[in-house]
Amino acid sequence: MSALPRRIIKETQRLMAEPVPGISAVPDESNARYFHVIVTGPEDSPFEGGLFKLELFLPEDYPMSAPKVRFITKIYHPNIDKLGRICLDILKDKWSPALQIRTVLLSIQALLSAPNPDDPLANDVAELWKINESEAIRNAKEWTRKYAMEN
Amino acid sequence: MDGCAEDSADSEGDYSEDDFDSYYHPGGDYIDTEDGQTSADSADPELFPVECLTIEQVENLLNEAVNAVCHSLNTSPSLAKLFLLIHSWDVQKVISGYKADVSSFLATSRVITAGCNCALAQPSLLHNHLAPAAADTVNEDSFVCPVCTCAAPGKSALSLKCQHVFCVDCWTAYVQVKISEGLSTDITCMAQNCDLLVHEEVALQLPISNYHKLQYQHFSFHNYVMSHPQLRYCVGPNCSLVFKAPEALAKRVVCRQCTSVFCFKCGNSYHAPTDCGTIKNWLTKCADDSETANYFSAHTKDCPNCNICIEKNGGCNHMQCYKCKHDFCWMCLGDWKGHGTEYYECSRYKENSETANESAKARAALRKYLHYYERWQNHAKSLKLEEKTLEKIKERINQKVMNGSGTWIDWQYLLDAAALLAKCRYTLQYTYPYAYYMNQESKNLFEYQQAQLEAEIENLSWKIERAETTDRGDLENQMYIAEKRRKTLLKDFFQT
Ligand SMILES: [Zn+2]
Ligand SMILES: [Zn+2]
Ligand SMILES: [Zn+2]
Ligand SMILES: [Zn+2]
Ligand SMILES: [Zn+2]
Ligand SMILES: [Zn+2]
Ligand SMILES: [Zn+2]
Repeated sequence: MSALPRRIIKETQRLMAEPVPGISAVPDESNARYFHVIVTGPEDSPFEGGLFKLELFLPEDYPMSAPKVRFITKIYHPNIDKLGRICLDILKDKWSPALQIRTVLLSIQALLSAPNPDDPLANDVAELWKINESEAIRNAKEWTRKYAMEN
Repeated sequence: MDGCAEDSADSEGDYSEDDFDSYYHPGGDYIDTEDGQTSADSADPELFPVECLTIEQVENLLNEAVNAVCHSLNTSPSLAKLFLLIHSWDVQKVISGYKADVSSFLATSRVITAGCNCALAQPSLLHNHLAPAAADTVNEDSFVCPVCTCAAPGKSALSLKCQHVFCVDCWTAYVQVKISEGLSTDITCMAQNCDLLVHEEVALQLPISNYHKLQYQHFSFHNYVMSHPQLRYCVGPNCSLVFKAPEALAKRVVCRQCTSVFCFKCGNSYHAPTDCGTIKNWLTKCADDSETANYFSAHTKDCPNCNICIEKNGGCNHMQCYKCKHDFCWMCLGDWKGHGTEYYECSRYKENSETANESAKARAALRKYLHYYERWQNHAKSLKLEEKTLEKIKERINQKVMNGSGTWIDWQYLLDAAALLAKCRYTLQYTYPYAYYMNQESKNLFEYQQAQLEAEIENLSWKIERAETTDRGDLENQMYIAEKRRKTLLKDFFQT
């Protein structure tokens, strides 16, 4: 593994020194490109009270390529599929090298507050979210209790 | 890069296997000349002056347009290419658009940010985007590249006209990553939500690797061809030939290198008399409904007379039961006798007026679709089977010539007949999607002509399969009639 670019070092330092409220991102002890992330379910969302684990990996050509991010904790959300993959434009074609780990995590947090069933990744969830939102929200709360609240 | 050779005069007398094959393409044009002797009058509805270009010829063609724009607007070739790419290689449109309003033209071409006046202030410096970051906006000594967070010595920080400044190392790494992703003329500024384009000159002046440079040139050439309305890549999977036509019409292109036959306008398999939109709908529908329809396109049917199971092993729809010798039609299972004169009863679908409720409507819709789908599929299958028939004909001819009965030229008419049959049946196959979507008013005339064509094709197929016992003049007459029916139908219904 090549030496860690200055950009990654700087971003890591800042993430530790001034963490984003409601988000913790800690680099792995053996791999500085791999981050253990915990996102707190935003207030007034069906995910409130939950702690969601994610993994974030910075590929070799980061920041020219987007970081790879995935939910580890199961979550009932129209833009997140069974494997935890996230449908978010800035992780794909709207990625810009000027964006940072911090902005990515903030966008993910915002996605939990404002699900977008019109650009779905989990089709069945998105479908229910559109035709019966209150039932979908009940499911999301149920999943949050079941998978994101142990201890 | 050959296969571009024009139809060379066939050296009659020595037919190799290759000659046989080149005669057997639905797009073969020999029959048109034969036809021309008898009816030089009317224009061929399929005539289309399409040229096959070498890569060099394509480059020359593109460069001509680029030079015209450079000369008229006094811009760099790189910017001219960008303008032309965005404006479908319309030189006049680029020149007049630029002259009408430089600022808005440059903004829509994604060279400057909308509303910025820099272009008007320094029109002659347009091409000079790779200048060091403007000293009045960035203090060179304290500049820190926002991407790598390194302090960049003044000389190596750059921006496009948007003034989003980054260091050269970052630009280089970024452009290389984008090229690796297959991008070229479509690479945008590194800043978030900035859609200004890193045009060719900027990308290639960066210290990117030679490998990336070549890749860039390769991809951008591809984009230029794709954006040019008069140019088309061959649709063949491993074929890179480029075709040129004066207009993007829904006409037939035959690739002599890979034998693909496709529509110049949409790139699907050639589909006359059906138009591009209709064939797209039809193919999508077939893909969606294929499971329902599969059942109906089975290879076997029972003889309507003695009920023995009959396998279709030739292309002809005129079946004869091997047991009871009953002649019947494969498609409608009706007696063949009635088909000689009133064959159209078989190809015409009768709309059922009793559509009382919704489910009956759905069933009627499926029945209607299956009627056309079955015939569409059936002719596709016949085409395949007739290819096998052609193989047999070649063998038989070989034997005959080797046994001293006739020369290759004597038997050429049989190969011509087989090729014409393929061409006619191909058109016939594509009349079914047309009929499926057409409105009731003109349907009767269309289906009448379709039935006529179908009848003549089945006659021709029958005669070719029994060529030994068919008189040559009789066969050639049948060829003439079938091709005439095909052309008439295209003339009346094929709109490109
Ligand atoms: Zn400007
Ligand atoms: Zn940099
Ligand atoms: Zn920019
Ligand atoms: Zn080809
Ligand atoms: Zn077409
Ligand atoms: Zn029978
Ligand atoms: Zn019939």
